[in-house]
Amino acid sequence: MTINRGWIARAGAALFAAVLLYPFTALFARIGPWQWGPDVRGPALSSVRVSLLLTALAMIVIVAVGTPAAAYIARCRARERLIWQAVLLIPILLPPLALGILMTLAFGPYGSVGSWLARYGVVMTNTPTAFVTTQVYVGMGYYVLGAVAALDAVPVMLQKQAALLGLTPARVFLRVTLPLSRLGLAVALSIAWVRAIGEFGAVVVTAYYPSGMPVQLWVNLQSFGLPAVLPLLVVFIAAALPLPWLIHVLAQRQRYA
Amino acid sequence: MDVDLRLGQGCCLGLFGASGAGKSTVLACIAGIETPDDGYVELDGLKFFPPSLPLYKRPIGYLTQEPGLFPHLSVSENITFGIPGNRVSKEQLEWIETLRDRLQLAPLWNARASLISGGQARRVSLARMLARKPPLILLDEPFAGLDRQLVRELIDDLVFWSRTMAFSMIAVDHQAEVLQRLCPAQAVVLEEGKIVQQGPWEELCRAPATPLLRSLLAPL
Repeated sequence: MTINRGWIARAGAALFAAVLLYPFTALFARIGPWQWGPDVRGPALSSVRVSLLLTALAMIVIVAVGTPAAAYIARCRARERLIWQAVLLIPILLPPLALGILMTLAFGPYGSVGSWLARYGVVMTNTPTAFVTTQVYVGMGYYVLGAVAALDAVPVMLQKQAALLGLTPARVFLRVTLPLSRLGLAVALSIAWVRAIGEFGAVVVTAYYPSGMPVQLWVNLQSFGLPAVLPLLVVFIAAALPLPWLIHVLAQRQRYA
Repeated sequence: MDVDLRLGQGCCLGLFGASGAGKSTVLACIAGIETPDDGYVELDGLKFFPPSLPLYKRPIGYLTQEPGLFPHLSVSENITFGIPGNRVSKEQLEWIETLRDRLQLAPLWNARASLISGGQARRVSLARMLARKPPLILLDEPFAGLDRQLVRELIDDLVFWSRTMAFSMIAVDHQAEVLQRLCPAQAVVLEEGKIVQQGPWEELCRAPATPLLRSLLAPL
């Protein structure tokens, strides 16, 4: 009896996928009834609101600042581009806890920017502003690097052709570059979204309050144990995962179409 | 490269030479795709270089081997792309309809540019270039890879419009017969970035200046 090699490879890939998704079976673990009483539900729902609203706000900042930055870097010569990319990698590669500590010191009363902001009543610790700022720092590098790759994928000659048809650089960007890179930009944004909404290490230092979902999960785990964690975990997964997952699937589908 | 070209209004000039002679570079410098090291480029008193005039301020049409259509737009949107503000006046509309009918684009009008064939894409890019009625048209081997019948049709269209609209044209090709049909009166031959001969095609064929040119003109 001969077994088709293709089927062996497929079975191997299926096994790999099963191992990768195995942690999700923990949602059905026998840990007793899930806790969703008022003392768990109130803070949990508040953390969902905080995470979704403030992460959305952070994404607006990231897109508004990151897209022009990415457009500039995409046009740079190789040497300059390398420098910018190296700079963007620093917050990505920094351990989140270290980033949180650095941000607390830099934006707190001991830092020059922090003391200046405090004079105008902007408190950068345990406030929504601190939460959004941390998420911007956490997600910006991912978005800009992804956006540079997306903008790079638009043929330069098409952009020059549009300019030769009389469009100013800004209009070339809006009418040609942006539409042709929109899926790549969406993928970059979805990575930034997942990274920011799931951030714990940096946020727990800079903005323990208002608690987002990751911090609240940790609080629930410490205060009530696993039965109080799982309901919020389900909400967390449902809120953070579907949109970026769908964008990635669509991007891959377009790539292989 | 060392090239000095002058072209009168409504004239057509064929840049001829072997691959690597620098023909496309000359066009790219005029279009602004590449920047020359030295010299000057001017159109009707409008200085293209130096300093380098931004691409969007150069009133030229530039057609290359790649149609360069915007794949996210329809054929009609591609053709009206360069019209300021995309607000088409009555006169412009009539002109675009003329282009559409002459280039047989009506059946493709609402099709997505990414879904049409290579030959159709060349016709659309020609229409898009002509839609703005540029005073100077640069053609960089725009017919490469097309069947003879289509090439003949496109050349006939270009010659027809160059006469009716009186635009100037610089065409590059390594096929002498294409250039001869397109620009019968005036040819410039380049070899290794230098002009080796210029004049009407009959003169080039009668007394080619170099052995390479003689071999290139042999098919005629």
